[in-house]
Amino acid sequence: MTADEEAARKLALAMGLSKVDPGQLSSVVSSQRKLVAQLPKDLHWSEESALVFRLPPFRGDKP
Amino acid sequence: MTELAFLGLAEAAGMIRARKLSPVEYAQALLDRIGRLDGRYHAFIRLAPEVALAAAREAEGEIAAGKWRGPMHGMPVALKDIIDLAGLPTTGHSRILIENVATADAAVTARLKAAGGVMLGKLATHEFAIGGPSFDLPWPPAVNPWGGKHFPGGSSSGSGVALAAGMTPAALGTDTGGSVRNPASMCGITGMKPTYGRVSRRGVLPLAFSLDHVGPMTRNVRDNALLLQAMAGHDADDPGSADMPVPDYSADLEKGVKGLRIGLVRHFYVDDMVADARQAQAVDDAADVLRQLGAEVREMRLAPLQEYVTCVRIIISSEAFAIHRRWLEERPQDYGDLARQRILGGAAVSAADYIDAQRLRSRLTRQTLAAFAGFDAVLTASSMDPPCLLDDAEACARVYPRQARQPFNATGQPAIAIPAGFTPDGLPLSIQIVGHPWQEAMLYRVAHAYEQATGWTKRHPPGL
Repeated sequence: MTADEEAARKLALAMGLSKVDPGQLSSVVSSQRKLVAQLPKDLHWSEESALVFRLPPFRGDKP
Repeated sequence: MTELAFLGLAEAAGMIRARKLSPVEYAQALLDRIGRLDGRYHAFIRLAPEVALAAAREAEGEIAAGKWRGPMHGMPVALKDIIDLAGLPTTGHSRILIENVATADAAVTARLKAAGGVMLGKLATHEFAIGGPSFDLPWPPAVNPWGGKHFPGGSSSGSGVALAAGMTPAALGTDTGGSVRNPASMCGITGMKPTYGRVSRRGVLPLAFSLDHVGPMTRNVRDNALLLQAMAGHDADDPGSADMPVPDYSADLEKGVKGLRIGLVRHFYVDDMVADARQAQAVDDAADVLRQLGAEVREMRLAPLQEYVTCVRIIISSEAFAIHRRWLEERPQDYGDLARQRILGGAAVSAADYIDAQRLRSRLTRQTLAAFAGFDAVLTASSMDPPCLLDDAEACARVYPRQARQPFNATGQPAIAIPAGFTPDGLPLSIQIVGHPWQEAMLYRVAHAYEQATGWTKRHPPGL
């Protein structure tokens, strides 16, 4: 079993993806690993994510 | 009929207002045309003749009574089938949601209805706006009227095809990684991805919440401005919606580009990803046209294209997997192969990698906005290639990611794709114009000047 196949097997177990074709999952794991490896390595701890949790404006006490 | 088929939205609106064109006859003529042509092009998943004709009759009555609501009154519109239209299924072109009848209109549908829009029906898409072109879905993929055998782009493929084939003067698409601008580029029409938060996404099937945009698609720039006018506005029930004033998008159309400073991002299509020579030349030629019209065009640099692509692909696959995870656990066989493959990628992305992609997005946005300072708008490529043959899966897979649209999904800036000529065998070429946040009106101004100077949008697919 290749590393990607082993990773796909573990992923299927962890994510409940037992009905997905193992060959397809293995191929996806392989290409996704290559993609993630392209993330820059120099992101500083102070560089914050763009996602912000926002509350809606207060609209009075009416339901 | 050909004249009605390719009537622009603005022109039709003037005729409807002056009661020289009946909304009922217009809608019926387009429904008849769709009936005749769509067996060949597969733009529509579902027509809604009763809904359309009822709205057209209502519009006709109101206009006759002197109650004209504006340019969208009595205007046919078609919706990508991930946008809710109450009473009709929203399928996402997927077996998964084949019986998913919408109980309410999407916010953008409601806006268009309030403006008097006439909903013709639901348009083909790539499955869940990500998996296509696919032949293993309940409906066939849409076919590009240019060439008749070619890929129309995606995922808003039916929207591009319906416009190019003269089936509707207006259509809505969505754009998470380029899906309004891709079919616009491939089908020789005009597609705007507005600023993130400009148009509500409530009632639209999500692909990736933090990147999803709804955008107007038309055959020319003026029509696009009118359609966006009716779509834009704050929606407190969409967490991504921005409470920003909506300007008059048509006000500056005729101002021209004289004195404007336009950046040219050549490295995207010359160095980072080598475009087809004809496509690259079309962008360079567009820069020359803008110079001749009086703009100052200067080359500029952004981050390498691949950095944006990595960022956007990780975010899309992660967010899409979160949305589809239960269905992928329970009924993966009900997806087409391409959608399943593209969405499953998110299963292999760790939480830290996803957050790093979002942090990279912040960095790229900051850098991009800084680079835009000193420019009124920026020109670059949209697609790197003209359309390939639809039944050539290998070519479609190769061409699909060859594009420069994703940077502006990452940054949320507005970006418009417009026609920029044709290959010698008659396939569309395109350019992309990008702006500062909330400056869609500037993009319309530049795009309109280019369009008027070149006349590319006056051409229609041969035989139609």
